[in-house]
Amino acid sequence: MTIVDAHNLRRVFPMPAGPIEAVRDVSLRVAAGEYVAITGPSGCGKSTLLQLLGCVDTATSGSFSFEGHNIGQLSEVERTRIRLLRIGFVFQRFFLLPMLTAWENIELPQAEARSPAPVRGARTRELLDYVGLADRANHLPSQLSGGEMQRVAIARALANRPALLLADEPTGELDDETGEQVAALFDRVNRDGTAIVLVTHNGPLAARARVRLVMRSGMVVPA
Amino acid sequence: MTGFALARRTVARYKARTTLAVAGVAIIAALNFDMLLLSRGLLLSFANMIDSAGFDVRVTGSAGLPALRVPVAGAAKLADDIRHMPEVDGVAIVRFEQAFASAPDGRERGISLFGTSEGSTRGGWTIIRGHTIDAGDASDPAGIPPLVISRQLASDFGVEPGSVFRLRAGVAGERSVLPFLSYRVVGIADFSFDTVGGYTVATTLEGFRALEEDRLSDDADVVLVASKPDAGPDAAVAAIARLRPDLHVYSNQEVVEQFNRNGFAYFRQISLVLSTTTALFTVLLVATLLTVSVNQRLGEIAALRAIGISRQRVAAMLLWESALLVGLGGAIALPLGGALAVGLDRILRGMPGLPEQLHFFVFEPRAVVLHAAVLAATGVVAALYPVRLAVTLPIAATLRRELGS
Repeated sequence: MTIVDAHNLRRVFPMPAGPIEAVRDVSLRVAAGEYVAITGPSGCGKSTLLQLLGCVDTATSGSFSFEGHNIGQLSEVERTRIRLLRIGFVFQRFFLLPMLTAWENIELPQAEARSPAPVRGARTRELLDYVGLADRANHLPSQLSGGEMQRVAIARALANRPALLLADEPTGELDDETGEQVAALFDRVNRDGTAIVLVTHNGPLAARARVRLVMRSGMVVPA
Repeated sequence: MTGFALARRTVARYKARTTLAVAGVAIIAALNFDMLLLSRGLLLSFANMIDSAGFDVRVTGSAGLPALRVPVAGAAKLADDIRHMPEVDGVAIVRFEQAFASAPDGRERGISLFGTSEGSTRGGWTIIRGHTIDAGDASDPAGIPPLVISRQLASDFGVEPGSVFRLRAGVAGERSVLPFLSYRVVGIADFSFDTVGGYTVATTLEGFRALEEDRLSDDADVVLVASKPDAGPDAAVAAIARLRPDLHVYSNQEVVEQFNRNGFAYFRQISLVLSTTTALFTVLLVATLLTVSVNQRLGEIAALRAIGISRQRVAAMLLWESALLVGLGGAIALPLGGALAVGLDRILRGMPGLPEQLHFFVFEPRAVVLHAAVLAATGVVAALYPVRLAVTLPIAATLRRELGS
């Protein structure tokens, strides 16, 4: 089953000095359970492409459908709903809510999806076990290491059982050893059936993906 | 997790910001609360004072200030006619005059003298020691008129119930041909209309007329009427006005309304201006702190939106944050404003010539309700800009900016 189906995506940012074409005619198809890594130099449009795939930005032209929904025709509320239920996001800087514990951060998207409290509790416990942080459930982000925060962020991204996990430089703030642990966790998430698209400068992490794409100047080029 | 829960956790997390905001709101809201108390304090206090006399209708010869009014002629017959009305429970003829007496230091001191036909059943005073005037008026073996004196006078002149007190009609320091007249002090009382540092005494109508050497006078400065509870003051006013259309008849409520329109309008206007200003300060304080807070959390908010948290949830979180800051500050403002009001009231009541029982700041539940309503509106208005900032945040651009910085 195809989750992402993008054709000739373009994203142009109007600037005072002239428009910048961050993504140029990118076509991409991601099937269920796929693992895609996108690499390329800084400013080549990787993160912009990821934001288009994650429905947080809209393309200037081209077509993009997510699980059969034409994203260009959906309202902001509908796109928000898709992000909540079908897409998981992992950011370079984790972006956990600092006032919530690890447990509560993982529970948050489930509560937003109106999942019943017992179901939420069971899923949160399951995810904390899954990322190896069952003993850190009641810790605030400030009491966790970088690797632990990123694992909590991955658990939060998986909370509503998304079809697609998007990760933007997920190891960018981590040392090699911790980055390796996070990479191993991504492998496991993918093995368990979740499609992953990540953008990274981390070669070993990209090498774990089944599909490796390279971007330059907004275009996908042969590796 | 609800918007309220997120807001509660945020407020608890950022303690310094919360403390600053709550302290600021508490101080400003305390001033606002005091303005609310002040806006109606004098009016309520005045109403309490005139109600405490036990009469709810006043009959005068003309409108205007008491000193300039035309006396009510034929007061005894009028009082008798009114007393027999089915709407009326009691009537008192009241005279007032300036008198003076020699203090223990030999200097003459001015005294406000009241003469009333009814001292036992009702009165604008509360007996502290002794008894009220008509219980002793006929029993004095020497036929000396009875007198109830204010606590201040008793203390300064060293007078006790049973003492003889000498009064003379007129203004202290001015020549008078009228002789001093002796009165038997029968009681010491707190008078409703006693002024700060002033002296007040009350006697019977006979005692009053004796002082004026006008024993045949049948005038009254005011006739006070108590309506029957089942009839009410409005019915009594209407009945008296039908009986004597030439007189001015007011219920206490009408008197208070007149004062509200004329005498207290300035206080209301000043209070309104100051209340609006303080509310505006609260809005600016909370809006600034929330806006700074939102700007510090742009990445966090963009990430929340990216993971599918709705705009409504983000807006609710900020609204609740504002409500919590304003609510906590507003709750602290109540005792703070109350204490401040007590202090300010004490200062203002020290002004000479004001009745001792008149207060500028009077607590009433309505003020708390209004205080809460103003704060609720303040909280909502203060949150408008930060909420708008957060919900219209461009998610992708913000994430790019945050990650690029």
